[in-house]
Amino acid sequence: MVSTKRLSVLLLVVLLIGVLSLPAQAQDATAEATTSVTTAGATIPAAKCDQPGALTVRTWDENWAKTIKAATDAWVSEYCPGATVTVDQVPWSNYWDKLKVDASSGDLPDVFNLNQATGFYYADNGSLVDLTPYFAKSGIQSTIWGSGLVDPYRYGDNKDIYAAPMEWVTAAIYYNKDLFDKAGLAYPTAAWTWDDFAKDAAALTDKANGVYGAAVYAEYQAGWGGWVASEGVPPLVTQDRTTCTLTEPGSVDAFNFLKGMLDKGEMPTISQMGGSGADDEYNLFKSGKIGMYLGGNWKLPNAKTDLTFNWDIVQMPHNPKTGLSRAALHASAFAAASNSKDPALSANLVQYLISDEGQKFFADAGGTAPSDPSPALQQGWLAASGLNGKNVQAFIDATKDSQGTTQFSGDSIDKAYSDMMTNIFDLGMSVEDATKAACAAMAPDLTKAS
Amino acid sequence: MAIRLGSPKNILGRTPLTRRRALWGLALIAPNTLGLLFFFGIPVILSFVTAFHQWNGIKPPVFIGLDNFTKLLSDPMFWQSLGVTLKLLVFTVPIGAVLSLGVAILLNQKLHGRAVFRTIYFLPVITSTVAASIVWTWIFQAHYGLLDNLLAPIGGLDLNWLTRPDLVLIPVAVVTIWQRIGFYMVIFLAGLQNIPAILHEAALIDGATRWERFRYITLPMLSSTTFLIVVLSVIGSFQIFDQVFIMTARTNAGGVGGSATTMAYLLYQKGFVGAQFGYASAIGLAMFVIMLSVTVFQLRLQQRWVYYESTDG
Repeated sequence: MVSTKRLSVLLLVVLLIGVLSLPAQAQDATAEATTSVTTAGATIPAAKCDQPGALTVRTWDENWAKTIKAATDAWVSEYCPGATVTVDQVPWSNYWDKLKVDASSGDLPDVFNLNQATGFYYADNGSLVDLTPYFAKSGIQSTIWGSGLVDPYRYGDNKDIYAAPMEWVTAAIYYNKDLFDKAGLAYPTAAWTWDDFAKDAAALTDKANGVYGAAVYAEYQAGWGGWVASEGVPPLVTQDRTTCTLTEPGSVDAFNFLKGMLDKGEMPTISQMGGSGADDEYNLFKSGKIGMYLGGNWKLPNAKTDLTFNWDIVQMPHNPKTGLSRAALHASAFAAASNSKDPALSANLVQYLISDEGQKFFADAGGTAPSDPSPALQQGWLAASGLNGKNVQAFIDATKDSQGTTQFSGDSIDKAYSDMMTNIFDLGMSVEDATKAACAAMAPDLTKAS
Repeated sequence: MAIRLGSPKNILGRTPLTRRRALWGLALIAPNTLGLLFFFGIPVILSFVTAFHQWNGIKPPVFIGLDNFTKLLSDPMFWQSLGVTLKLLVFTVPIGAVLSLGVAILLNQKLHGRAVFRTIYFLPVITSTVAASIVWTWIFQAHYGLLDNLLAPIGGLDLNWLTRPDLVLIPVAVVTIWQRIGFYMVIFLAGLQNIPAILHEAALIDGATRWERFRYITLPMLSSTTFLIVVLSVIGSFQIFDQVFIMTARTNAGGVGGSATTMAYLLYQKGFVGAQFGYASAIGLAMFVIMLSVTVFQLRLQQRWVYYESTDG
């Protein structure tokens, strides 16, 4: 019995080491698996600060804010006595506007969270501290992270690091086991296909009681992006951001698959959900009105406390043509502001937050998976999730073949994509027309990117 | 007795008492004047200057002359936003004025609980537009919303109010009108109470019907009040932002294809989302010119229909 347990742990550790190396290959949707660039088992040290001071850290997630507070308290006592840290949580809906305004007035918080779509913007505008020399001083190699996690935060000719990954997230299907039982369905397994998914969605739909079989399209990261990626097509634009991929046959097929279920009343429209976000899907799932919902591992803490029914997680189904089950992968990061009164101190805090010691706070919180590839931390994260009996492993398995988030920026791309989603998933426009219109609308920004 | 202009002593007054009074006056208006200068005057000047620059808010601004304005004139989004703003104006100004006049007339009668009703109608005015817009968003939500549920017994509508380009302005207009009625009602009430009762009494003696008294006495005597309300609500319509921002945020910000993007919302989008502060300032300047032109036009037009009661006899 004991040996089986040890073997399981060993296998898990091996798997986790593999997982953290895989983001590197996730960047190119069409690429075959590439070799790992992660230094398994390497450590990321923290460093003593030169001079204490007062810092502000900003994040958008309330769970992260609590974790960051605990981590920064430890940083103060262990590495920078006398320093003070204020953690400021700004909700996601206001986060980016506020950040932009603060950047323009030179009032960026000393340390703040960025995502892969925005890293380039702030680095290009000189708002970020180059972390490379600070990391080099402590012997931290940027190759410790998979390229899918760290490359979007590189900038300049030398590809220096301007923000450091703090987590990895991907998506899987959360499902309501009670509804599956009621419909007399077997629970899905990792081997299931899109056809199985569609059949289950149809069987779970109970129009009389306002229950939809699924809601899985709302956002790029925890929505349609994974379905398009599973067709073998990079979602939205090519990695070099010069070509719109929405009209490619794979994209059109994926959207038609999802729209087919919507048209049959097996998925709610945007208006029925009251919003186009993954949280709108989650809220309906939480209220027992959705059988299956595509969500990220960042939702695990919420699911743990919110869900009052039996539930579990399973990897996204496999595309019947390509055999792919390819969820989107992303890593948010910590950056230090160049307008900070003490950039060195800010960089020191960033280093702590992404170090083995700082990352332990994230691992122990059990929600966000730490970016630090240390097997002990990954194992700790799994254990701390406190979701015994839940298939949290599905998220780790999902990273085996995942789609790195394509960076994009520009008003017209955002708007074109948003309009396309509403046109398809709310206003009944054909996928062909909606995707064609979206590609035409985003053309100006794509040209600029080239 | 000639006053020597430029002497501070004479500006403030010739006696210690008048000087003291003048100083008190200046001190009392100082907070407001300074506030206006810092929070309105300076931003207006900066915005004017920024309109001639390319500035993303972070890198130093670059002077580009009139480029932002030439871009504005050829930007279909700008013209579309002007169209959306004018549509809302056409919806909200007459309907808002008529409804608030109706409520004012009703609440000008000797009714039981008149004060309570006046308070109830005024409540939306002091309600935050953001909070009101959130509540109205829930009301207009398809399928689960209050409106659809109320209409369910007669078959329901199940309309996608907040995403359909042909419908999205209706919820925005409803919130705007709902919030304006109370304020305009108070102004109309003041106007109604200023109409000399003798005019109605004389008309009654002459056998005028209720409608005739309204048409030939009340309406003309309210023309200056109506003019004020029309000017205020036209300016207010050009500034519609909060309702659009909140009501479309969760479904499709600014409406599908910009169908709910007003000029004020476009300004926000370009400035604070797109970080094109120079271009956003140019939009602001264009809005100012348009609003000024419309107001001047209204002032000219008022000579034809507005009646001011003369106090000269």
